[in-house]
Amino acid sequence: MGLSVTTTRQYRARAVLTGLAMTAGLLQAAPVLAQSKPFAGQSNASAEEAPRYKRLPAPSLNFYGTSGLIDMPSAEMQPDGQWSTSFSWFAGQSRYNLTFQATPWLSASFRYNGIRDLSGTAFSTYYDRGFDVRARLWREGHWRPAVTIGLQDFAGTGVYASEYIVATKSFDTPALGSGRSPGRLKVTAGLGWGRLGTYGALGSLAGNRTGFTPGGTGGSLSTESWFRGDVAPFGGIEWEINDRWGLKAEYSSDAYLAESRDSGIFERRSPLNFGLEYQWTPGTRIGAYYLYGSELGITAQIQLNPKHPRVPMQVPALAPVLPRNQWATESAHWGQDWAQSSASKRQVRDLVAEALKSDGLTLEAITLSGTEVELRYRNNRYRSETLAAGRAARLIANVLPPSVETFRLVPVRRGIGLSTTVLRRSDLEALEFVPDAPDALAAVSTVTNAAPLAADAILSEELYPAFSTSVSPYSSQGYFDPDQPFRLDLGVDFAASYTPAPGWRIAGAIRQRLWGNIANGRASNSVLPHVRTDQAEYAQHGTTLNNLYVSRHWQPGRNTYARVTAGLLESMYGGISGEMLWKPAASPLALGVEGNYVRQRAFDQRFGFRDYQTFTGHASAYLELGKGYVAQVDAGRYLAGDYGATFSIDRTFKNGWSVGGFFTRTNVSAADFGEGSFDKGFRFRIPLDWMLGKPSRNSFGLTIRPTQRDGGQRVAVPGRLYGSVRAAHRLSLTEQRARFWE
Amino acid sequence: MKMTSILARFAGALALLTGLTACAKGPDKTPLEVELVQNLRQALQARRAARGEKPARPALTRAALDATVKGAFIEVTIEESDVFAYLSRQVSKHDDFPGTVEVWRSEDNVNLAMRDGVLVATRGMPNDLLAASALVHAGGPKGPSGNGERIYEIAALDNESYKLSLVCQVEDLGVKRIEIVELTYRTRHLRETCEGRGGQAESLAGSQERNRVVNDYWIDSRTGRIWQSRQWAGPELGYLRIRQLTSG
Repeated sequence: MGLSVTTTRQYRARAVLTGLAMTAGLLQAAPVLAQSKPFAGQSNASAEEAPRYKRLPAPSLNFYGTSGLIDMPSAEMQPDGQWSTSFSWFAGQSRYNLTFQATPWLSASFRYNGIRDLSGTAFSTYYDRGFDVRARLWREGHWRPAVTIGLQDFAGTGVYASEYIVATKSFDTPALGSGRSPGRLKVTAGLGWGRLGTYGALGSLAGNRTGFTPGGTGGSLSTESWFRGDVAPFGGIEWEINDRWGLKAEYSSDAYLAESRDSGIFERRSPLNFGLEYQWTPGTRIGAYYLYGSELGITAQIQLNPKHPRVPMQVPALAPVLPRNQWATESAHWGQDWAQSSASKRQVRDLVAEALKSDGLTLEAITLSGTEVELRYRNNRYRSETLAAGRAARLIANVLPPSVETFRLVPVRRGIGLSTTVLRRSDLEALEFVPDAPDALAAVSTVTNAAPLAADAILSEELYPAFSTSVSPYSSQGYFDPDQPFRLDLGVDFAASYTPAPGWRIAGAIRQRLWGNIANGRASNSVLPHVRTDQAEYAQHGTTLNNLYVSRHWQPGRNTYARVTAGLLESMYGGISGEMLWKPAASPLALGVEGNYVRQRAFDQRFGFRDYQTFTGHASAYLELGKGYVAQVDAGRYLAGDYGATFSIDRTFKNGWSVGGFFTRTNVSAADFGEGSFDKGFRFRIPLDWMLGKPSRNSFGLTIRPTQRDGGQRVAVPGRLYGSVRAAHRLSLTEQRARFWE
Repeated sequence: MKMTSILARFAGALALLTGLTACAKGPDKTPLEVELVQNLRQALQARRAARGEKPARPALTRAALDATVKGAFIEVTIEESDVFAYLSRQVSKHDDFPGTVEVWRSEDNVNLAMRDGVLVATRGMPNDLLAASALVHAGGPKGPSGNGERIYEIAALDNESYKLSLVCQVEDLGVKRIEIVELTYRTRHLRETCEGRGGQAESLAGSQERNRVVNDYWIDSRTGRIWQSRQWAGPELGYLRIRQLTSG
C-alpha cells in the first residue's frame, strides 16, 4: 500500500539539497578570474520604454478637502477610488476632511471642523460635522471645460452650507528648464449659493434662505434652501509648475459673515487668496497660503488609492505542479486499491494536511474516493479565497495518489462549507504556464454551493476539539464630544476559544484597560432608553468581561446558512441571537433574518444585568450590484424598541478595501432622537495585507457616526454570516481569477 | 501644556502595549493587533540584519561549479537593482502549446517559467508576470522565431491582471562568442523587438504612448540551447539577465 501512495516529495527533497550544496560551494569559490563582459551587445532598451504602471495624477485639494483651489472648489475629480485625508488651518479655524471618490464622477466628503471663539455658541471652540457631495456633469474635452455641481455641508447644522456649479479647463505649459516635467495651468470659474454667495452677489435667482444659526439639531437635508438666495461668482487659477510645485490664486465669494463680521475672529480685507503648494511624495502634499488680505494658512494632505497598494503583494511561489505521467510511470501507480483501505486514506489525509500546513492552510476534512477528492480547508492566511483555492489545489495535486482526477475544494469558516470549486487535476497540470492561464482555468472550473459534510469524510485530527488563545493590545475610541473631540482607551485583551466540533464555538475575552479617557465623557441626555449613549458609564471599570458566548454555525440546506449565539454577546448586551441566511453560490442576491432577545449588561461588564431588555430583529436583503458595490437594506425593530429600516451601500475592492455609508430612519422623531435627527454614518476598512504587501486576513476597520444616539441602534453579534459567505461565492471567486496561479 | 502631558502618557502607554508579548496560539485567526506587533518586530529585525552589506556576488569558477553542483542551474539578475539569485530546474514539461516549459526555482521561493527559453511567467515576485505567449515553434530551434503577436498578462492593481498585446519581430544579429564562467560558446544572437500601444488599464501608462520591449537571446549554434538572455519580466521587475551556469 505504501508504494501506491506515490508522491513527489523525494523529488523535491533532492532539488532543495542540491540548491543548498551549491550555495555552500559558491561561497568557498576561488578568487575572481578576469571575465569578458557578460551580456555584451545587449539592446539598449530600458525598462522606462516598456509599459509600466503610473499613478494617475491627483488634482490638489482645497481647504474643504475636495478638489479645488484654496477656499473655493474646482470641477476636477480625483482618480477613481481615491481616499484623501486632509487638514487645513487658518485664523483659528481648523478642518479635518475625508474625501472618497466613490465613482469616477461622484465624490463624498466628511468634515470635522473647529472654529475658535465663534459668537452665539457656548463653547470656546465650536466643533461641527458635515458632509459634502460632488457630481461631475461632464468631463473635460478638447475645448469644453469639466463642469461639476456640488453640495457642501448639506446635512449638518450647516455652518458651511453652500451649493455651487463650477467649470475647470486645463492647459499644458512648457517645462521650465531641461529635465523638468511640463507644467499645467488650470482655470476655474463658478457660481456659488449659500456661504459661497455671500460676497459680491449678483442677486437672487429664486427664493430666500436663512443664514447659519448655531445650536440647531441639524442632520436633515435642507433641500428647501438649496440653490436659493443670493448667487455670487468665484474663480481662480492654479499653475502646476512641474510635478512638485504649484501656485494658486483665487477670488473668493465667501464673506465669512459669521466668523469675520459677527465674531471678529479675523478681518476679511480682500477677496483674494494666494498659495504655494509642494508635492512631497506621490501621496502627500503640503501648502502655505495668504488669505483674505490678513491671514496665513496651511494645508497638509495624504492621499491613498486602494488600487495602488503601498507595497505590492508578494506571495511565495509554490512548487510547480508536476504532471503525474512524470512521476507515476508504472501502471501500478495508477490503481485505486488504496481507496478501499481506511488506513491508506488516513495516510493520504495526513499527507494533504501536511502539504496545506506548509502554506498556512488548515485541513478541516477530506472525503476520498478512487477518482475524486472533496477537500474542506480553513484559510486563515489569504484574503483572496481564489488565491487560497488555487494554492490548495496545487499543493494537493503534488501529494494525492495519481488516480484522483476531480478536485472539489470547499473553503470552511466557522464550521460551514461556503462553496465548492470543482476542477480537474489534468487541467492544473496542463494550464499552469499557458498563455491566458488565469482565464483558461476559470473556463474549466465551476463554482457551486457547498454540500454539508459528507458522512464518510475523514476529519482532521488536530482541529476538533481545539483550543485557541491570544493576548493582544486593544483600543476603543470615542468621537466628537464637544469638550474633547477624540477619546481613547488602551489596554490588553485576553481572548480564548474552544471548538469542540465543527460549527461549535465557545469563546470569551477579558479586557484590562491600562490608560484611557473615555470614562470622562459626557453623560447621556437622551430621552430614549439609553441603549448606546451610556458609553462613559461602561468605561468606568478597568477590568471587564468583554464577551463570553457559545455559538453554533451550520447549514440547514444547500443554499442556507444558520447561526445561533447565546451569552454575553458584546460589552453592552447579553442574550440569545439567531440568524438565517439564504445565498445561492451563483446569486447576487441574499436574504436573511435575524432575531435577538437581549438584556442590557451591568456597567461593570461582569455577569450582572440592568433592567432594560428588549427584542430586536431584522429582515435583510443584500445585493451585489457589480463593480464591487454591495447594497443592503435591513428592516425591523431596533434596540430602543423603534421600528424602521437601515439603508447602506459599500464599495468593496477586490483587495479587501471597502468604503461605505449608511442611514437609518425609524419611528423616533427628530426631536426625540436629538442631535443629528436620525442615525447615519460611514465606515471603511483598510486591509493589513494592502499595507504590508504580504498575506493577511486582518484589516483596520472603523465606523464613524457624526453623533452616537439611541435611535436606530443594533446589537453587535460576533460571527454574522453574510460577509464570509459572500467572499467565497462565485462572483467574488471569478472576479479574482487572476490570483489563482499566484 | 495639557496636550503635551496627554501625548506623553499616550506614548508611554503605546510603548507598554507594543512591549507586551502579544501572542496567539491555536487554529483561530491571529488577531490584528498581534499580527501588527509581530510585523513590527520582524521589520526591526530585518532592519538590524540589513545593516550588513549587500551580499557580494560570489566569484564563480568552473572547477567549483563542477565539484559542488548537481543538476541544471541558472543565474538571474534583476538589471535595475543588481539583485541576483541562482535557480534550479524543477520541472520540464509539455502542454498543448509548442515548446517545452522549464520551471526554475530559487531557494527563497521565486519561480521563473520559460518556454523554449522564452520567459512566460514569474511567481513569487510583486506584480508577477502571470502568463505570456511565446513565438516558439514545435520542433524548431530554441528561442523565438518569426514575427507575430505576444501577449503579456501581468498581475496588477486591485487583484486584477492586465493584458498587453505587443507586435514582435525577431532579427538575427549573427554569430557571437560568449563566455559563461570560463566556458565559451559559439552562439547566434537573436533580438526580439516588441512594440505596442499601452494596455487596457488606464493606469498602465501610455495608452497613448508607444511602448517598446526588446529581448535578447544568445542561442548555441550547434545544439540550439539558450545560454543567456536578457528578457523583460513586467513593469515591476523590468529586465532580467539570465545565464545558464550548468546544464545538468
